[in-house]
Amino acid sequence: MFSTSSQRKFWTFSDETELARQREKQNLEFIAKHGQHIDEYQRYNFFLSPEEERLLLKQYELHLKEFCKRFAPPMPKGVVGTAFHYFKRFYLYNSTMDYHPKEILATCVYLACKVEEFNVSICQFVANIKGDREKASDIILNNELLLMQQLNYHLTIHNPFRPVEGFLIDIKTRCSLANPERLRSGIDEFLEKVFLTDGCLLYAPSQIALAAVLHAASKEQENLDSYVTDMLFHDAGSDKLAILIEAVRKIRSMVKMVESPPRERVRIIEKKLDRCRNQENNPDSEIYKRRMREAIDEDDIPQGSSRMSLDTSGISQVLSPSAS
Amino acid sequence: MSDISNYSVVGRIGEGAHGLVFKARHLPTGREVALKKILIKNIEDGIPINVMREIKALQLLRCKYVIKLYDMFPRGMSLVLVLEYMCSGLWEMLHHNQQEMTLPRIKTYVQMLLKGTRYMHAHYVMHRDLKPANLLINHEGILKIADLGLARLYWPDGGRPYSHQVATRWYRAPELLYGARYYSEKVDIWAVGCIIAEMITKQPLFAGESDIEQLAIVLQRLGTPTEESWPRHSELPDYHKITFPESLPMPWTDLLPGVDPDAIDLIKSIVLYDEQKRISAKEAIRHAWFQTRPLPATLEDMPRPNVTKTK
Repeated sequence: MFSTSSQRKFWTFSDETELARQREKQNLEFIAKHGQHIDEYQRYNFFLSPEEERLLLKQYELHLKEFCKRFAPPMPKGVVGTAFHYFKRFYLYNSTMDYHPKEILATCVYLACKVEEFNVSICQFVANIKGDREKASDIILNNELLLMQQLNYHLTIHNPFRPVEGFLIDIKTRCSLANPERLRSGIDEFLEKVFLTDGCLLYAPSQIALAAVLHAASKEQENLDSYVTDMLFHDAGSDKLAILIEAVRKIRSMVKMVESPPRERVRIIEKKLDRCRNQENNPDSEIYKRRMREAIDEDDIPQGSSRMSLDTSGISQVLSPSAS
Repeated sequence: MSDISNYSVVGRIGEGAHGLVFKARHLPTGREVALKKILIKNIEDGIPINVMREIKALQLLRCKYVIKLYDMFPRGMSLVLVLEYMCSGLWEMLHHNQQEMTLPRIKTYVQMLLKGTRYMHAHYVMHRDLKPANLLINHEGILKIADLGLARLYWPDGGRPYSHQVATRWYRAPELLYGARYYSEKVDIWAVGCIIAEMITKQPLFAGESDIEQLAIVLQRLGTPTEESWPRHSELPDYHKITFPESLPMPWTDLLPGVDPDAIDLIKSIVLYDEQKRISAKEAIRHAWFQTRPLPATLEDMPRPNVTKTK
């Protein structure tokens, strides 16, 4: 249930200002940490600005959408939605200069596949990636734990797709609208665009679903206003109705404003990022390679003063044998 | 952010499918916990899907009769889950403390198991691997459902196929043995029925040595399924792969000799071919068996395991 979920409790924010402030904070913290040796004026030429980070992320959200669309085997909508949630959540608490969005993007989709029970092996997965696949698979697997940690292990995502089905069933049974199925293409198109906005960090999945349904209806020259006021909100107070109307209006206006960032601008930002990114997290850097080797060695759980080996001999009892 | 320095490791408890389990003390609170360390570096596809399922299920479920996940943290290339520490389990009780398993206590364990199952099913989670080894018991004597590595969310409309390679053989429902891909939470109920019988008789109800033998035993005891006892069973994927000799159902009084009629009535309303007729956990909790003498034991009368399993 969404109402008792971690999504509502920890990942639904009050407004766009709060999101902008949070992102700017990550930007400033990164620059403060990594820019001490650069004088103030040069600093802003060298590092990305909050606005540049924003444009870069918008571009990578478009890449994310395209990657999922072309993915073979075809990917269920829920996986795409979940991947978008993860991607957005990750960059609320991290700067793109710390973790390159192309690497986090692939990891988000990979984790979403697992969580949504769309079972593809890492080999199948990287077959969808251009370039060095072995390297891609290393990057994804190395980042998986980091991503889970940054998501605070809140893996379950409530997407708007199920509420949409609920509304369609409800409209079919309680509404006189002819052939509600014709709303589908408008709904799908709307939801695809919603994920390019911050909508899912601000509104409940059911509000987004309703916005999609109402948008699709108006595209079909139909009006479902009386369904909302007389059926859905018949017994709820007028204050609740007002909140919903405002949410739907806001979601629809966010979707309307979606646009692709200018190509040339993004190209320059990417070049800048190559220079200012944290080399510790760049898989091509020596420092990264050394850190990975250390992580592999740091694996034992210390027991008392001595380090415990991973040797399993001497364990006579298997607590929970897995299903055969 | 939590890490290993918050814990003092006391010893090793056992081995799970993906790594070791340690007993530890959470230093800030003094709480005993189990640290389940999942080794990722050698696993081809990264964090195993079973671990993902377990995390998702445990985050959703907050019930006295389901094990608690307190926290988790990465350590090197491993992920460590911090779970409620359970000092014993039903498997141990059945194998090493049989004399403790009196009828009133069995009734209480069954109630706990059914309450945990009812809770999971109310949250649309099916466990898919219920068995004595996955039912742990804490120092207060409370039984809790653990090891949710095969647990997954299901949708009541039954739109999606699931893997039939689930559940440990002896507790596997017949539709799974025939390779069903569309099944329901009632696979858990079948397992519960098998576990109840095993607690009472101290023997597994259907102990097959192989998947085929498992099916043969079930069919021989419950009788060859008919269209009436099991509608549409002949449409299951593996039905035509193998045929078994025709048999008539054995009377339950022969299958469970000496077992009281109320217990038999409960078991036989669960251990049924037709999943639609198998009663739900919610219905089972209201069964007369729990209202007839001897009554279920109170928590004070439950065995309190204190044997530490640390090796």
